[in-house]
Amino acid sequence: MAALGPVAFAQPWLLLALMALPALWFLLRVTPPAPKTQRFPAIRLLLGLAPQEETPARTPWWLLLLRLLAAALVIVGLSGPVMHPATQLSGSGPLVLVIDNGWASAKNWSERMQAAEAQLDRAAREQRRVVLLTTAAAQPDAPLKPSDLLRPERARERVRALQPHPWPSDYESVRAAVEDLQVDGSAPVVWLNDGLQTPATEALASRLQRLGGVELMRPEPSNLPVSVLPPSSSGTDLKVQLRRADNRGPTARTVIASDDRGRLVATAEASFDDGSRLATATFELPLELRNRISRVSVQGENTAASVALLDSRWQRRPVGLVTESAQADAQPLLSEVYYLERALAPYAEVTRGNLGELLAQDRAVIVLSDRGALRADLRNQARSWVERGGVLLRFAGPKLARELTGPEAREGGGEPLLPVRLRRGGRALSGTMSWGSPPKLAPFRPDSPFAGLSIPDDLSIDRQVLAQPSLDLGEKTWARLADGTPLVTAEQRGDGWVVLVHTTANAQWSNLPLSGLFVQMLRRVVSVGEGVAQSAETGPLPPSSVLDGFGQLGPAPASVKALPSDALESNTIGAAHPPGLYGLEGQRRAHNLGPAVGDVRPLTDLPSGVEVGGFASEPEQRYGPWLLVAALVLLLIDLAIALLLRGLFGPAGGDGMGRRAARTAGARTAGGGAAAILLAVALAPTSASAQSAGAGDDPESYALKATLDTRLAYVVTGVDRVDRIAEQGLRGLSRTLTARTSIEPADPLPVRLEEHPLAFFPLLYWPVTEEQTPLSARAERKVNDYLANGGTILFDLRDPTPGVNLGGGLSGAGQALRGLTRNLDIPPLKPVPPEHVLTKAFYLLNDFPGRYDGGQLWVEDTSAGGGDGDGVASVLVGYNDYAGAWAIDQAGQPRFAVTPGGERQREMAYRVGVNLVMYAMTGNYKADQVHIPAILERLGQ
Amino acid sequence: MSSAGLSPRQRAEQLSAALPPLLLHADRVAASVAQGVHGRRRVGQGEAFWQFRDYQPGDSPQSIDWRQTAKADRVFVRQMEWEAAQSVWCWRDGSASMDWRSSNKLPTKRERAELLMLALMTLMVRAGEHVSLLGTGLPPAANRGTLVRLSEILRREEPAEARDLPAPEPLPRYGQVLLLGDFLADPQEIERSLRGFAERGVKGHLVQVLDPAEETLPYSGRVRFEGLQGERPWLLSRAEGVRAQYRDQLAAQTDAIREIARRTGWRCTWHRTDRSPQTALLAVYSALAQHL
Repeated sequence: MAALGPVAFAQPWLLLALMALPALWFLLRVTPPAPKTQRFPAIRLLLGLAPQEETPARTPWWLLLLRLLAAALVIVGLSGPVMHPATQLSGSGPLVLVIDNGWASAKNWSERMQAAEAQLDRAAREQRRVVLLTTAAAQPDAPLKPSDLLRPERARERVRALQPHPWPSDYESVRAAVEDLQVDGSAPVVWLNDGLQTPATEALASRLQRLGGVELMRPEPSNLPVSVLPPSSSGTDLKVQLRRADNRGPTARTVIASDDRGRLVATAEASFDDGSRLATATFELPLELRNRISRVSVQGENTAASVALLDSRWQRRPVGLVTESAQADAQPLLSEVYYLERALAPYAEVTRGNLGELLAQDRAVIVLSDRGALRADLRNQARSWVERGGVLLRFAGPKLARELTGPEAREGGGEPLLPVRLRRGGRALSGTMSWGSPPKLAPFRPDSPFAGLSIPDDLSIDRQVLAQPSLDLGEKTWARLADGTPLVTAEQRGDGWVVLVHTTANAQWSNLPLSGLFVQMLRRVVSVGEGVAQSAETGPLPPSSVLDGFGQLGPAPASVKALPSDALESNTIGAAHPPGLYGLEGQRRAHNLGPAVGDVRPLTDLPSGVEVGGFASEPEQRYGPWLLVAALVLLLIDLAIALLLRGLFGPAGGDGMGRRAARTAGARTAGGGAAAILLAVALAPTSASAQSAGAGDDPESYALKATLDTRLAYVVTGVDRVDRIAEQGLRGLSRTLTARTSIEPADPLPVRLEEHPLAFFPLLYWPVTEEQTPLSARAERKVNDYLANGGTILFDLRDPTPGVNLGGGLSGAGQALRGLTRNLDIPPLKPVPPEHVLTKAFYLLNDFPGRYDGGQLWVEDTSAGGGDGDGVASVLVGYNDYAGAWAIDQAGQPRFAVTPGGERQREMAYRVGVNLVMYAMTGNYKADQVHIPAILERLGQ
Repeated sequence: MSSAGLSPRQRAEQLSAALPPLLLHADRVAASVAQGVHGRRRVGQGEAFWQFRDYQPGDSPQSIDWRQTAKADRVFVRQMEWEAAQSVWCWRDGSASMDWRSSNKLPTKRERAELLMLALMTLMVRAGEHVSLLGTGLPPAANRGTLVRLSEILRREEPAEARDLPAPEPLPRYGQVLLLGDFLADPQEIERSLRGFAERGVKGHLVQVLDPAEETLPYSGRVRFEGLQGERPWLLSRAEGVRAQYRDQLAAQTDAIREIARRTGWRCTWHRTDRSPQTALLAVYSALAQHL
């Protein structure tokens, strides 16, 4: 194989044939092209004619060039050009292929595998054996060791079976394994590194160099994995910290929080600033959502370190704060609730409410500030809630001291809900008359939940309630004063706790609520309700499910060992303890890779002589076949051109009698026909859709139809039967109008509110039906515009029940009307008054019957004036199914009988219709006519 | 001319519809007995009044003009002018060389020639002249059925049987001949053929129909020309090189035809198939109407 820059040739000697191209050029030059044949009737006149200068006809230069190019392509194509040929392996020994398969390798795993396969290709081409070496042990007990000398095909099978492991590479062990490796001659070493700096990298590289030339391939620094730390559990938000190896360039990553079933809960952005390796993503979530989060991962990352599993330690418990009255807020600094809420809010979700409500909700902790005896039912409810696992935190105070202390407290109401019995009253530890200073808080015992909290010096307790001494008082005491009296007592009842703080939650009895200790104590108390017993020193946790190398949670393989708690504390990750969830059901503990990974850096320190490169080497590409195809295409073009030059295609070659020409023409027509068919097939859907679009009325023709003639119009409800009646009714009314008045409307038009413009119609008939779909916002806007600009809509409820109770109990149609017009600007309505223009617009009418009689016709109250409508009401609401009375069939006969009946009623219905249309079209001039006598009279004065 | 689906005769009718009937200008009408519109300036059968003369015994009583008789003492007979029809024998070149066109957009020369001929015949029949086709032996006739029959004969003629030039045929004196063709044959042969008619006193008109490519020789490059009637092929290395010479040859041919026509007293018209047939029709019409 001979290389020529990035191109190499498999058979370079074939390129010598390129030297023959000039000869081909010469040959093509001297051979005249074949003449084209032309039939010609006037040949007798041509016979004997010869051109004066006989310059030989030459093949055109561009055709020559085309043919030479084709020949050159054939030659080059046959010589087998290869793009990006791989270089030869150095040395003579077997190829040592070191593949990192620790957690960080998952990020570029496919590139890594491609690179490994490319190396194996090289080895196969040069017939080398291969030694495979991975850097992360698959089993906890199996030490790392290099493979035997493998044939490349066998090695390929092994490489394809490799998977990244969710624990770090162990370069020390690899180095030990390499020590044992015996190879003949100098072995080329290729190390597919994960690109992270570790202390052992350099040593291993030096050791590998002793085998032969080391070529190290690593991902680009910008392409290194991002690790995620488990979220910090303090504060109101969930903060997730990301770490990256490379600190160059600002990038933003999306952090995904999902629940235990893999459903997305929330996403948040984390932005790395330039020069920074850390970024924080903040989730602000309601507590219920926050507690559902069981897994936080970085989008676009597939390593085990990019996943942080969350166990119940991260779940915040909801706290209920019992407030009985709104008075508490009036003077916040005196209110116990104020102090409690301020102290609890940063760590817990606090809800206020009275005790009954809070017990009904699913609260983990309920804080009850100074409170006397509870009602018996509430107490029982609270007791059973505590026994189910709730934590009731009570504070003492004047009320509690008055009602729940002393032996009388247990009379009547029964046992109070307190951890200890209290002595009557309480005690004042300091006051104007006391000599001694109030006692301090004693240091917390190690077995107390408050253990380890530091006690401020200036803390003083002025008053407290005292516990009745008993045998178990010591066990129940969580905090005590320096003189030994208990300050916080607690008793476990069932699964829950009752905790009593023997002083108030406000600054009345002590300044404890003002101190930072109060906050921390409350936090500890709240965490008691977290289900997991933190102090429970159990044995090693059995594995439940573990992450694989790509950060997917799966069942733990048999090789995973139980996790001792010290390993959990120290974040020990390895083949024996892969990251995942450990522990029994209900007490899962998350074991995360992120903290164990620590602060990673891109690989920099390498011994000199190591050849460093990326994975992204371009694979070999063979261009020979493509060049041959190109040559074939060129030759086909040449053939077409030759045929063209001989007159087989040209328009000048027409020849009425020539059979060949006829054939060509036939072929052309056939070809044209085929093309036409193809075109038709291609266009068929388009034209079909165009037709279907054209079948509906396009806006212009609709507008013309609506405006060239005066037309009545009805709103299409989408209910076929109703729309048909409306259409037939308006048709009947149009006929009546034509016969009796000077209004001669054409056939009525349907109006689809969503698409048709409304402005063309003076009057819209709108049959109200329950089935009509609610209007879109656009349609509502259109209808409002129409009403505001002088349009008139007649809503017909078509409901036989008298509609006098429009505002009250509504029939189905009434509700439908209300639903349809919810967002329409319906003006105030009133029943048609006796002197209204509607009663005399054309006919004199007293009532307005339709198919039914008796329903009131409501009309906009225009007496107040205003509006654009020339005094014409924009909205009329009728009940009498007018269209039903007007409807005629094809033969012009009425379709429906009118009730109570009689053709007189139908006639009256038509008169109502005529008056309506007259009213909508002519406005209030009839009203003016009526007033003329009065006006004349006034003028006469 | 939107005449895609029409038969040649229908197209000819369509073409001739724009012109009035063609009454041939005839100095001397063929001595046929057929009644026609050419007045013979003598008494005979006819429509036009010629003279009154005195009644003579033997005259048919029906011929007495009673109105004239009533004006005088004598009895008059009304005599009409003898009106005879002119007879025209038409011919078009039906040989293979006519069945050619240089482009699909053009009609073949034969189509065009037939169209012109039928159109002229239609016009003449409409004027009452009698037409026939040379070589068919049919007597000239002036009814529309004749046209149908003649166009059918044209349609059935095989190009292989057709000849370049009309065969001499005994025609009545003062008959007229209308010849359409490309007249690319040897001028001597053309003259010989025409003389066969002219020597009998038959007058005639030539219409030369040529394809535009035959005038311009638009070919270039290396071209092998083949004849349509078995002529030997001719290879030209550069067809564009002989274009001028070819034009000269064509001009010489045309001149020769014109000269032959002059000698025989005939007339000739030229037509190219890329021109409108109306133009040609109008030219031939006016030539025929003036003189033949």
